[in-house]
Amino acid sequence: MPAILVVDDSATMVMSLSRVLKNAGYEVETASNGKEGMAKLAGGLKPSLILTDINMPQMDGIAFIKEARKAASTRFTPIIVLTTESGGQKRDEARAAGASSWLTKPTEPNDLLTALKQLLPAK
Amino acid sequence: MQFNTEASDHLVCAVLAAQVAELRGRIDTSATVELLWQTSDLLSRLSSLVLEFTKRCSDSDPSLNEKCNAAMAAEVEINRSLESLAFAQAQRNDFTCQTVDCVVTALERLAVTDAAVGCRLSPSDLVALYVSEEQRQVHEAATRQFSIAASRNGAESRSREEPGE
Repeated sequence: MPAILVVDDSATMVMSLSRVLKNAGYEVETASNGKEGMAKLAGGLKPSLILTDINMPQMDGIAFIKEARKAASTRFTPIIVLTTESGGQKRDEARAAGASSWLTKPTEPNDLLTALKQLLPAK
Repeated sequence: MQFNTEASDHLVCAVLAAQVAELRGRIDTSATVELLWQTSDLLSRLSSLVLEFTKRCSDSDPSLNEKCNAAMAAEVEINRSLESLAFAQAQRNDFTCQTVDCVVTALERLAVTDAAVGCRLSPSDLVALYVSEEQRQVHEAATRQFSIAASRNGAESRSREEPGE
């Protein structure tokens, strides 16, 4: 079962994303900011995909993506950005940092799952 | 208590920041989202029980069996809608809280009394706090409105000062 690492500072979003992903058959690990996400990766977590917000305290999504790309275990892991930001500048920054895809909130559960399936190997 | 104009402005900003921060707790709908997910879970569990029931009693009452099947089909539809609603509500909640946090941060900075003049919070500092394109669009619209009002007021002041022209 592919494991997804969800990184978001909103507890409500983390809960909702976890539900949608678990209902679709994925294992879910969560972190409330980039720093916590990096700690999980350093602790040995090897997610099949990472789903991250951009605006978070301590370590934002862009910094987190940059750090995750430096780690050998997540150098090539698909990373989807899910954020309220739709601005081109942030999107370019995320792409330059190593993001694989971008979804702007609000999005539908089906759109999220479709984006995941496009980046994950077939189950 | 008496305050000079500058101190009074800082106080107003501090009070507004506290008021909006207080409001944030009231508009945070995470409890509603949680309840929607719990309802969805409960419906799933009930549907599983109905399925178990129909397996055990499928031959005893065809009519009841049909009703159980209809209920399970309805559960699937309702649960899909609940999931969409909870997901949408969570995202709206997130957006609202982030926007309110931005306003509180801005007001708190304006309330700082020991900041040097010109270092408190500029319009571009404000833009740096935004977390969505929607906020930037509102900012631009408000800036345009402000500029129009300022130039109109300026023109009116000049015409009052130079009544002969």
